[in-house]
Amino acid sequence: MNDLTTRPEAEGDMPSASGPWPVELDDVTVRYPNGVVALKNVSLTVGAGEMVAVVGLSGSGKSTMIRTINGLVAPTSGSVRVGPHAVSELRGRALRHARGDIGMIFQGFNLADRASVFHNALVGRFSHMPTWRTTLGLATEADRAMVMRSLDSVGMLEKVWHRAGALSGGQKQRVAIARALSQEPAVMLADEPVASLDPPTAHSVMADLAAINASRGLTVLVNLHLMDLARQYTTRMIGLRAGEVVYDGPAASATDADFEAIYGRPVQARDRLGE
Amino acid sequence: MTQAPASSVAKAAPQVPPKPRTWPRTLGIVAVLAVLTALTATPALGGVEIDLGAIAKNWTNGADRIGKMLTPDLSVLPRTWQPLLETLQMAVVGAAISAALAIPLSLWAARPTNPNAPFRAAVRFVLNVIRAVPDLVYATILVAMVGVGALPGVITLVLFDIGIVVKLVSEAIDSADAAYMEAGRAAGGTQSQINRLTALPQTWPAYVSQVMYSLELNVRISAILGLVGAGGIGRLIDEMRGFYRYDALSTIVLEILIVVVLIELASNVLRKRLR
Repeated sequence: MNDLTTRPEAEGDMPSASGPWPVELDDVTVRYPNGVVALKNVSLTVGAGEMVAVVGLSGSGKSTMIRTINGLVAPTSGSVRVGPHAVSELRGRALRHARGDIGMIFQGFNLADRASVFHNALVGRFSHMPTWRTTLGLATEADRAMVMRSLDSVGMLEKVWHRAGALSGGQKQRVAIARALSQEPAVMLADEPVASLDPPTAHSVMADLAAINASRGLTVLVNLHLMDLARQYTTRMIGLRAGEVVYDGPAASATDADFEAIYGRPVQARDRLGE
Repeated sequence: MTQAPASSVAKAAPQVPPKPRTWPRTLGIVAVLAVLTALTATPALGGVEIDLGAIAKNWTNGADRIGKMLTPDLSVLPRTWQPLLETLQMAVVGAAISAALAIPLSLWAARPTNPNAPFRAAVRFVLNVIRAVPDLVYATILVAMVGVGALPGVITLVLFDIGIVVKLVSEAIDSADAAYMEAGRAAGGTQSQINRLTALPQTWPAYVSQVMYSLELNVRISAILGLVGAGGIGRLIDEMRGFYRYDALSTIVLEILIVVVLIELASNVLRKRLR
């Protein structure tokens, strides 16, 4: 696909992904045990370093799709490839290793509220740490330094020893971004990262993601349901409706008619975040 | 977001859906409970024999002892210090050892922290067996095995406490929201890593309050353990009871009460701090 260049900030003594990487879905179908088909024969390729919005209403399959990319959901058929990893083929240690190269942030932040910001961000070092080190609480100096740099890059370093539950929603999502960045990922996934945030905070978190894409060159896939965020912050948009790709093209020039095709209904006021 | 004009609310009484009838079910439950109670208290049908008349016939026998207990004999106090101290030592050591053992066992016995179903079932089965054996049976067997003294008492308390702490803490883990687990898995963590760094801090409040509860139970139980020679203040209780010195017994009971109240106060302070 694209040439795989080594990122300048990669640590010499740490195994890290040499990204950015492309993401390829080939004829992926996901059928849940209750019979719901969340994805139907989805094939698409996201180029290395692209910033892509996956847009659709809730239930359109976008959450399932993003989870097939890091193997949290296994495809019923079809294959998923992220850079050198054939994610849909992997299990156990190899799957954990692949996940270590793919960062993810969530709508509900998914932090351990009673643990410190530091420990939450240290979660991002899991795949780079032997289990015994985590169990004994012996993170290496390099792991600690990586966590501190990540927290610093999202402006959360001064809160490093605070409890995660004591932070505001926007701060929590920044810590979650730092957790993902601590992985030194080649690909960043975001599942409705701003749906639990107020509009100004939502804009600043989206700006953070765009900055990560621009400065670190990470491939970013972000699930959104709001059309203005997709237009403003991403370059390419994939529209999902009932588990099928119904739009794939530039985000900025997507018309209201394109969004109506994705939503399957006229555009409403609540499809925009506003300022 | 709702576009309904305010006037429509004032215009007509809102259509309240019919309230579901619950009284037949309530009546049924009450009837079943009444019949069960009647059956279990009817000897002719295999129920237990409850002779309320016996209370009227025999109450004076007990009243005599209660009367003595209402006038505590404080002269026994000097003799109680040593066994009371031994009881406290046994309670603390027993609670501490069981607390340490309960950490991994609780994590292994709960579904979110141990997805391996056969392993989880095995841990739970062993714990059920441990809980099923009465503490006096442990103490009697252990006194025979390791001799009279504090050691069989401590081992009994450890077994008893593990059963309680692990059951209550693992149930707390089962019922808690564990969204942070998904983040740990997405980062490529092993279950042990996720448990150590995030599940453990989330569990502290439940853990601390159950360990404090087990400490309180230990003080009360070790009063019984002395009956079979397993150390502590129970030996003195047995002796006083043998000599019908219910006034001295009352002093010991008061001492135990004070210790239990002190432990509860300490537990409340700890819990407030951990909140």
